[in-house]
Amino acid sequence: MEALLKTTNLSRAYNGHKVVDGLDISLGRGEILGLLGPNGAGKSTALRMICGDLAPTGGEIRICGHDLLSDPIAAKQQLGYLPERPPLHPDQRVIEFLTDAARLHRMPGNRIDAAVQQVMQRCGLEAVDSRLIRKLSKGFQQRVGIAQSILHQPSVIILDEPTDGLDPAQLREVRALIRQLAESAGVIISSHILPEIQALCNRVIILQDGASVYSGDISPAEAVSLKVLLARPPKLQQLTALPMVTEAKQLHTDYFYLKLTPQADVSELAAQIVAQGWGLRELTPETLSLEQIFMQATAGEQIA
Amino acid sequence: MTWTLARMEFTRLMRTPLAWVILAFGLFLLSWRLLEALEAFTGLTIGPATPGLTSYLSLQLYGFAAVLILFITPLLTMRQFSEAFRSGSYCLLSSAPLSLLQILSGKYLGVLAFQMLLILMPLALSLSMMPGTALDFGLLAATTLGLALLSACFAAIGIYFSTLSETPGLAAAGSYGTLLLLTLLGQDSLRNLGGLLHGLAWPAHYLNLQLGLVRSIDLIYFLLLSLFFLGLALYQLDRRRNA
Repeated sequence: MEALLKTTNLSRAYNGHKVVDGLDISLGRGEILGLLGPNGAGKSTALRMICGDLAPTGGEIRICGHDLLSDPIAAKQQLGYLPERPPLHPDQRVIEFLTDAARLHRMPGNRIDAAVQQVMQRCGLEAVDSRLIRKLSKGFQQRVGIAQSILHQPSVIILDEPTDGLDPAQLREVRALIRQLAESAGVIISSHILPEIQALCNRVIILQDGASVYSGDISPAEAVSLKVLLARPPKLQQLTALPMVTEAKQLHTDYFYLKLTPQADVSELAAQIVAQGWGLRELTPETLSLEQIFMQATAGEQIA
Repeated sequence: MTWTLARMEFTRLMRTPLAWVILAFGLFLLSWRLLEALEAFTGLTIGPATPGLTSYLSLQLYGFAAVLILFITPLLTMRQFSEAFRSGSYCLLSSAPLSLLQILSGKYLGVLAFQMLLILMPLALSLSMMPGTALDFGLLAATTLGLALLSACFAAIGIYFSTLSETPGLAAAGSYGTLLLLTLLGQDSLRNLGGLLHGLAWPAHYLNLQLGLVRSIDLIYFLLLSLFFLGLALYQLDRRRNA
């Protein structure tokens, strides 16, 4: 199956200064891709290019097989976009605004009313449908922005900082909504709030100075590493001597950090430790947290 | 899609207080001007020698309406792009399946629709004279056409300046400057500047229509000037995507 969104070597320069440099993104149905990076790394520029708001200086963007540059109308019909600042008309009522947004996306007239009602229900806007957007709180305005971007049931949904300004309860609702959206579409989220990305995404791309410095799963699982607490700690060499252990480090007196071979079975290791009589008290898997990945990637270090 | 967008722009404009303030003040000022003109026309003081009421109104009332539209148009057009750029709502259009030409013509036609309401005012005021006197409908049609062309031209200039800046105030200032320049170029003292520069001013072209002379050269002047600024605006929108 062809990817819903595919960018190849996407680049953008302002006055010769490269802001986005050779970015390759591929997004499939059901995926939630997180775009991360320090401020000024080119996240918003990349997203604006994908949405056709900004023309790339090089590279290709295909949305559902349509080339965004040569066939923009067909490509943009499959696209829903929420920019950093929600694009709202403050003098309009919520329902009027959403109806207009549906018309702009060329929805057939007889389907608009139903689609607007459905999206208002999904985004929890029914209670404020005839309020002026100007008078809504920031959280509600953000939700109107999200509603606008998903109203026409696009295949590719791009949300630039979608959870900005939401309170914890709204945050949970929006997260659930995004997961639900990803069932029938591909979603790209940009954020600099790491726990947000960790909670939602199944894949991340980390940008640094416009180039992708990390692209992959949130917790790369090639090698399992563990932290163990032993009541009667042995010598370090005894631990490394175990067949499935490739590397061992003593963190504190009783704490050890163990790295296992890729095919190793953790229960096997536990059995070994118990058999040796070292007194296993704690055994915690050490997944590489997103924060670690982020810090390592943006500091230019290699990830293990 | 152009029409859909134009209708949306017009409805949205009609929801703002600005539109109603403009309409109310416009009607008030034009009615005032009408009464003033009537007093001069029917009073004891010797007014200018004119062939009739229609001709007199077409000069006085429609002359004033043109100035009114000159001052109102930049207020309308500065919202169209500048404010949309600044508030970020332009993204709604740029990421929607619309071409730049559709976006531009939709916004432009939205403003024109509102200006048509303004143009109806002097027409309605003139027609209200019907019970008392016979009107020259041919002349009235020519002047109204003139005012419509003038509005289209002013709107195109305003739209262009609106695409230039993210600050609505700057866009308005640019349009006012250009419109006043195009007005002043027509002064008699500038006649020796050269025929072309002098010919760029709108008052002379409008005057012909006010006198009932529908000449193709005047129509072409208004159409070309509108198209020129709309072309520049389109170029500017494209540059914004690429810059």
